[in-house]
Amino acid sequence: MTTMNHTPESVLTAVATLVREVIGEDWAQDLEITMATSFSDDLELESIEFVTLAERLKVAFDNRVDFAGWLASMDLQEIIGLKVGTLVEYVVRCLSKSTTA
Amino acid sequence: MSFEVHNGLKFHVQELGAGPPVLMLHGLLVGSMASWYFTAAPAVAKAHRVRLYDLRGHGRSERATTGYDVPTMGSDLASIANAFSPEPFALVGHSYGASTALHYALKNPGRVSKLVLVDAPLPASRLEELEAFLGRTPEAMAESLPGALQDALARKGRQATRFVEGLRFLATETSLFADLRRADDIPDEVLATLKCPVLCVYGTQSSCRPVGERLARVVPNARLVLLEGGHFLPVEAPVALGDCITEFLDG
Repeated sequence: MTTMNHTPESVLTAVATLVREVIGEDWAQDLEITMATSFSDDLELESIEFVTLAERLKVAFDNRVDFAGWLASMDLQEIIGLKVGTLVEYVVRCLSKSTTA
Repeated sequence: MSFEVHNGLKFHVQELGAGPPVLMLHGLLVGSMASWYFTAAPAVAKAHRVRLYDLRGHGRSERATTGYDVPTMGSDLASIANAFSPEPFALVGHSYGASTALHYALKNPGRVSKLVLVDAPLPASRLEELEAFLGRTPEAMAESLPGALQDALARKGRQATRFVEGLRFLATETSLFADLRRADDIPDEVLATLKCPVLCVYGTQSSCRPVGERLARVVPNARLVLLEGGHFLPVEAPVALGDCITEFLDG
């Protein structure tokens, strides 16, 4: 993945692909994943799948996204209510920081 | 690289951060490395290289049907620790993961630089609540868990189905409960041989609290910290627990 042109749209596409891979079940392959999709309510991701997602995010974005540290800063209700869009915005922030640094 | 073979089983392993080595073990049944990964581990990983793994039969590690006794889990730990660090390392465990860590530290003096025991039962099998828990169906077990987990279960969706399936596997297809019931106590004179600094962190409302008080009394270099909460401190008090652990490791 290049370090340039990380728009919310391109990051959403990348994150959605990673999420589908992590779920790894047929139903997820055609699932529409938008900024408003909830990890818990809509995708029903398990906590151990969040670990795999964190690992995939690190690899996909060259270690510039600390998903574990970011989630650890939230309380449980925030984690449960987490939307794909909130993660996408966080990833975009991480990437813009590390390209301008 | 997230899978390694130890004792003939495939273990799911992850590492966070850089610095002196710290190995963290989660608790049985409802735990996985996620119990640490999204709670206290990131705080510890700010200044340490943290290794987490899913215990046998848990999370993404291989679904072993036997070997849930403390000595076998201790030998899983020994193999994983050897792959992790040739140098002495800090060891952190929650619940049965802490019982396993304690067993390993006693058997391998010199390997563990510091030991953190979070709500370790001793022995696991004599706790009345655990006995009651073990007698339940997987569905009823799920009902006795912390609120947030119950909310997910109440929806009876994919999370709930997979969670209950994990419990059902451990409860009905493995030797886990029989292994737990056989767990021995560790005599005070053996506990007294532990040389490394030991931090015991227990929940004020936990039924394991007397074990923490006993450890602090008989282990020469141990101290007890009580945090507001019950048995599931990594989830109930993640920030306070992370602070406690990092302060102890860096002190």
